[in-house]
Amino acid sequence: MNTELEQRLRDDMEQATRDFRVPPGLALKAYRHYRKRTMTTRVVAAAGTAAVLTAGTLSVAEVTGVFGQPAGGTQVRTTAYVISRVERALSAPDMNNMVAYTRTVYPAGTTLQPVPGGVNGSGGPRASSPRGGDYELLWAYHHGEKLSSFTASGQRVFDERITVGTASLATTVVTYTSHTWWRAQSARPAGAGSASQGCLPGGQIRLNGSANAWPDFIHSQLACGAYTVAGKQLLGAVDALKITGGSGQITLWVNPVTYLPMRMEQGGQVQVNFQWLAPTRANLAMLNMPVPASFRQVAPPS
Amino acid sequence: MGSDRAAEDLELFLAERGEPLLRTAVLLGGSREAGEDLLQAALERLLRRWRTIEGDPEGYLRRILYHLAADNWRKQRAWRTRLRLLQPGAGPAVADGTAEVDLRDSLVRLLRQLPPRQRAVIVARYWEQLSEAESAQVLGCSVGTVKSATSRGLRRLRELSESSGPAELAAQGSTRGNRS
Repeated sequence: MNTELEQRLRDDMEQATRDFRVPPGLALKAYRHYRKRTMTTRVVAAAGTAAVLTAGTLSVAEVTGVFGQPAGGTQVRTTAYVISRVERALSAPDMNNMVAYTRTVYPAGTTLQPVPGGVNGSGGPRASSPRGGDYELLWAYHHGEKLSSFTASGQRVFDERITVGTASLATTVVTYTSHTWWRAQSARPAGAGSASQGCLPGGQIRLNGSANAWPDFIHSQLACGAYTVAGKQLLGAVDALKITGGSGQITLWVNPVTYLPMRMEQGGQVQVNFQWLAPTRANLAMLNMPVPASFRQVAPPS
Repeated sequence: MGSDRAAEDLELFLAERGEPLLRTAVLLGGSREAGEDLLQAALERLLRRWRTIEGDPEGYLRRILYHLAADNWRKQRAWRTRLRLLQPGAGPAVADGTAEVDLRDSLVRLLRQLPPRQRAVIVARYWEQLSEAESAQVLGCSVGTVKSATSRGLRRLRELSESSGPAELAAQGSTRGNRS
């Protein structure tokens, strides 16, 4: 059988590409090439259009007939329909096998500090020693998650890896600013893993003590009612459906095709951007958190 | 401008998701340089559809990467080879690639010697760990094609490793035939 060859192949591919990082400026280079090519195309197209107009063969009626429809159509989707589709998308069996990737942006002045089993956030003035808090990236899959916290300039402050067990949480934190790391075991919070979160007042995001808890959280908040579809908004390339709640409730943008959340805002300040990824080897590798050999182990915070 | 925002969005997207994509591109391209070129070409294509993509652009970008690797990349490589032949004092017609290799591991080096489509299938199946159906979807071909390309690719890798590779691989005999 090929099993050993296949395993060796996987290991070699992992090993051979381990240290590769995207060279700076690659996105800009691609964008410039793309712009150059589109501008050339436009010049050629403009010349072609001028020739057609001169010959008097352009049929305006025909063009309107083909392209004159308003973008996106005029379909009105009721709030009840949208909410039910979002709830269905969040509770679909596929969700359990997706890697949830989020980018959370916090308001200026927020300080995040890793503690056993999670992260404490505060809105006070930033401590003199650098701590994460401007934005964080989180990958979550099944019973594990990795959170990386950054300053506004992109400096990585700490990584936190949490593995959820049946009764306890194992937390490992690497702090890049102090070149230290710690590991701790803590009890799993009471009620952890249950879908019901209750209706939370503004400013609170409380996850349920299990990895990849976002679907449950959003689901439970939508169940509180008082949400309305407030039109569409372009997020990146997607004309997302915007769902707003009452005072202090979450605002959600969902993909109009998959109905999966794309962005969530809480209290108009904390912004969470979602991506739901296939559990490919590359995506799962993002949950790995090696401890640099030169880092010193310290006691976890109490 | 919307297009300027597209550039910013792309930069952000790449900052967050670039590393796994580059690793895939390097394996598909066969070297670091080729991988970066491949990723850049795929990003340019992604930009063409940036405003109309529904959902996560990563899936779309991955499909472009695989399509380029399996199709256009081969043409580009042929063009480069011809160019090399035209240069005075050019080396052997079939380069062994050792000068360009910046990948350390033997099987990954041997992967370069597979035809692009076989290599793409192997990367999809064993690096991305996609199922046969998922690989077929990302490559835009049938499941049968994925199965046969995987089988041929693995067989070829085994043959190459037996003729040039490490001894431990040679010791792992395959029961498959040698029909090419």
